[in-house]
Amino acid sequence: MSVSVSTDAAPPVLEARGVTKVFGGLTAVDGVDLEVGEREIVGLIGPNGAGKTTFFNCLTGMETPTSGRISYRGRALSAKPHRVTESGLARTFQNIRLFPNMTALENVLVGRHCRTSQGVLSALGRGPRYKREEAEGRARALELLEFVGMARHAETLARNLPYGDQRRLEIARALATDPGLLLLDEPTAGMNPQETASAMQLVRRIREQGLAIVVIEHDMRFIFSLCDRVAVLVQGQKLVEGTASEVQQDPRVVEAYLGKPADDG
Amino acid sequence: MQQFLQQLVNGVVLGATYGLIALGYTMVYGIIQLINFAHGEIFMVGAFAGLAMYSYVLPESMQGNPFIVLPLVVLAAVVVSVTVALIVERFGYRPLRRAPRLAPLITAIGVSIFLQELVRLFYPGARSQVSFPRIIEGPNLELGGVTIARTSLFLLIVALGLMVALQTFIRTSRTGKAMRATSQDPDTARLMGINTDRIIVLTFALGAALAAVAGVMQGMRFVSIDFRIGFLGGVKAFTAAVLGGIGNITGAMLGGFVLGIVEAMTTQYLLGSAYKDVAAFVVLIAVLVFRPQGLLGERVAVRA
Amino acid sequence: MATAVADRLQASFSQPVRLAVGGVGAVLVLSGCLLPWATFFFGFPGKVTLAGFPGGSRLYPLLLAAVAPLLAVSVEGRRRAGLAAAWGIVGITAFNIAAIGFGRSLPLGLLEERGGGGLGAVAIGAWLTLAGGALLVAAFASLRADDERPFHPRLPAPLELLAIAFSLGLILFAVVIALEVDETSRFISLVAFITVASMALARLGVFTYVTDLFDRHRTVTLAAAAVAAVVFPFTQGGNAYWIRVFASIGVFAAAAIGLNVVVGLAGLLDLGYIAFFGVGAYVGALFAGAARTTVHVKLPFLVVVVMGAVIAGLFGVIIGAPTLRLRGDYLAIVTLGFGEIFRILAFNFDWLTRGPNGISGVPDLAIGGYNFGATNEVLGFSLPGFANYYFVELILLAVVILAFTRLNDSRIGRAWIAIREDETAAAAMGINTYRLKMLAFGIGAFMAGAAGTVNSHVTTQVSPDSYGFLESILLLAAVVLGGMGTIGGALLGSAALFIVPEKLRSFQDKRLLLFGIALIVIIRFRPEGIVANRRRQAELHDGDPSSGDASGAPPGAAVVGAVSR
Repeated sequence: MSVSVSTDAAPPVLEARGVTKVFGGLTAVDGVDLEVGEREIVGLIGPNGAGKTTFFNCLTGMETPTSGRISYRGRALSAKPHRVTESGLARTFQNIRLFPNMTALENVLVGRHCRTSQGVLSALGRGPRYKREEAEGRARALELLEFVGMARHAETLARNLPYGDQRRLEIARALATDPGLLLLDEPTAGMNPQETASAMQLVRRIREQGLAIVVIEHDMRFIFSLCDRVAVLVQGQKLVEGTASEVQQDPRVVEAYLGKPADDG
Repeated sequence: MQQFLQQLVNGVVLGATYGLIALGYTMVYGIIQLINFAHGEIFMVGAFAGLAMYSYVLPESMQGNPFIVLPLVVLAAVVVSVTVALIVERFGYRPLRRAPRLAPLITAIGVSIFLQELVRLFYPGARSQVSFPRIIEGPNLELGGVTIARTSLFLLIVALGLMVALQTFIRTSRTGKAMRATSQDPDTARLMGINTDRIIVLTFALGAALAAVAGVMQGMRFVSIDFRIGFLGGVKAFTAAVLGGIGNITGAMLGGFVLGIVEAMTTQYLLGSAYKDVAAFVVLIAVLVFRPQGLLGERVAVRA
Repeated sequence: MATAVADRLQASFSQPVRLAVGGVGAVLVLSGCLLPWATFFFGFPGKVTLAGFPGGSRLYPLLLAAVAPLLAVSVEGRRRAGLAAAWGIVGITAFNIAAIGFGRSLPLGLLEERGGGGLGAVAIGAWLTLAGGALLVAAFASLRADDERPFHPRLPAPLELLAIAFSLGLILFAVVIALEVDETSRFISLVAFITVASMALARLGVFTYVTDLFDRHRTVTLAAAAVAAVVFPFTQGGNAYWIRVFASIGVFAAAAIGLNVVVGLAGLLDLGYIAFFGVGAYVGALFAGAARTTVHVKLPFLVVVVMGAVIAGLFGVIIGAPTLRLRGDYLAIVTLGFGEIFRILAFNFDWLTRGPNGISGVPDLAIGGYNFGATNEVLGFSLPGFANYYFVELILLAVVILAFTRLNDSRIGRAWIAIREDETAAAAMGINTYRLKMLAFGIGAFMAGAAGTVNSHVTTQVSPDSYGFLESILLLAAVVLGGMGTIGGALLGSAALFIVPEKLRSFQDKRLLLFGIALIVIIRFRPEGIVANRRRQAELHDGDPSSGDASGAPPGAAVVGAVSR
């Protein structure tokens, strides 16, 4: 039931086939296929515990899938998290994993690590190339903070930022790795309606920059207004995939979220 | 062949001590993910406490009677070891439960140094070897060409008995179940009404008691003790715990025996006694690098 | 119970009463310090038997009484600062009373000096001071903390530079005084005084202010410190004793800073670090043409230093390769194991290391005809031979500090800190954690090796017992207790670990015991160490009610902060 949107001959940004992850007796992810094309926003929904975050972990190498093939722009993806990021996938975390005792700017600069190359000798010598790369890095980091709307907090420690800003910072940090595909794990969790609206704006602007995005969400308005396609995961398996309205009306999805209707009478 | 069997037996006896101490390490690690660095000194303190009971408390007339001496010495060792362990837990580790890893580790090292020095300075004669009563007198036994000291056999039986008793306790009793629950998921255990703090205290106490018995055993076997046995014994016992699979009780026992045998064998056949301690360290490194979950591995969170 | 008493005091004391009580207390302390504390007969050391001037330990409560005016001036932090100082007065006086009265019979043979004349030997001065101190405690306890106003002075630049010079001078002065003090009881009183005075100043925000000053005028501060360090040997009048001590401290501090890279930046627990230092030391000794050695090759000094560093670094890489994939605690134990293996091998490989005897008789360096061992006349000052080694060590220290600072504030440094904060997230952000950990480990080993090589010349001999577990712990203590991730901390920690045992020589035997206690106490109450890296302090005092950002972050931040640990 996959509906593929990409029409060009270029390989899809992400192609995941048969991704399975088994933990001892529990199959957390069961043969999930997913394809993401250029500039697509794909939503991943499902009840809690359906395996969505575990699926993300399998994509990014944080968990090694028991089986399955994952490729990014036609090339098989490595199983090591830092190589995955180098290839072009970046992610945020469900529980926010910033570096709490580094400033916002430093957090984003860490994201630049895999796109810069100054090593030990260079850091010790502080030659012109080093200084230039540092300056470029800072400029880019500030640009990204500006992009997500947090430039004025650049020198605040991450642990001291308000919740909404922390989520935005995590996105900025992920963007700093120059990804082609961004994986967002519940970006609007805990947000009020205004914050959610501005998060939606941000995601749109990210797509305009040329990235493809997969987002795990529970907020249906978010899913509806943003996603080109939606995949539904229930108990580790992909139940349905289609446009937002197709998915919303599918009886199996309703059952998964709300349960079977009680018999009348 | 004879030599081989003899070393095998020696190794098993040696391993019994390691196993008993290792149980303390593995239980504490299983429950609060802390390597109780000071556990080795608990073992040492137990040995000295037992000796003190014999030398200073017991009237001379009773010193020859093993049926009186042994229980009293062990009792003294256990009481002192458990007390020390509980004080350390309450004032050294509990306040630091939320702190980064380094803090309790340094506290443990501090406690270890403190206890070593305390014994070295204040126990008469502890600056060098202090002699320990054999308690069980009698000639060595000969079984199939292998010599085994009476004491060693006795200790082996006691150690095995204690290990089995502990296993049974943890597997069948209600408290044992609570311990297992706490080690798997402390938050949920608390929600289920288990007083996790008390379980942790109990864990420390059990580990300390076993280490105390091991301390007395050590004294009886080598007829002397000194304040340094805690450090080396501690690291080796930790190796045994890791070898068996940290957090796994059967593993600790098994690891102890295996380590004991490995040590006896390398001493005899490979490197000679100067390097016998190296054997233990090499085993430790090898296990952590090649099979970090140990022989019976349960908890796998050894990799970063 | 303490809060109940404090509440009652706060309720019953009005400002005039408080001022009266505090005033009387201050006067009592002042007069008490000018009067004798011990009767002449018992000749308690420290000049406390004379009246008219605050000799010996009496100086300290006198200085502490300077907090009294704070009762009238409402400055932020004054209550806690005043309490610290007042309790300090009480504590120091009580200690001295006990020392005078019971001297030798105090537990642990605390003071092997004279004393022990019973309480009758204690003269009126001490009692007055004690009473005064108690009154001051009461007065400060009766203050409410909520009426304090913040005080952030902003001086024009030249005055700020003056303030820096003054602060540095004060620190130097304190160090020199500490070095001069000879009697144990006075030294203890001095340490207590310094501790309490520092607490009081810290609570008033002086430390933050001064650190801020240092930060803003970094070059000036560094230059001043460097000048002080270079000038020091010239002030010793040909006496090599303290030059030796500082040379040893310097080498130790260089190793500590290397360890700071491993532990403070990358967050790797290394309990066998001394082995790298030992490797460097042996390399240094073996190739120096020593008198009793196994390798009869003599190489130029600089070559040997580089060799020592490189070989140690190689060992770091070899040891790190299999072990750096392990989690924190396991890494600690494994490194401990390697440390012990090094010691055992050094002990047993007679053919290379001469076993337990070690290599000794390392000759004095002679570079281009300039003999390091001989006394030299420089600029009209006579410099004992040892001063040359002191300067070598100074160069080593400078290089290591420079390297650390540059690494800390760089792409690599940020990656290390990210790994320390959250290794999984760091990997997810594209950091090859394994390779970077290896880098940290290797660089730390390299620095230790260099320091060790220099050390072999400072101590002229190497043997296996100098490089055991205890030494690793001492280095770790210097780093952690001094202040992790800070240079000042490593320096201070190294200095303290050398000077304090020297001064407490009457405790000869019990030094390790006290060390163990110190570890436990400090890690419990001030885990960030003496010189706090501000980040670290925030990290460790998360749950304290008084911590928190001035910008008033909403509770969500704290919750997320805890989750993202």
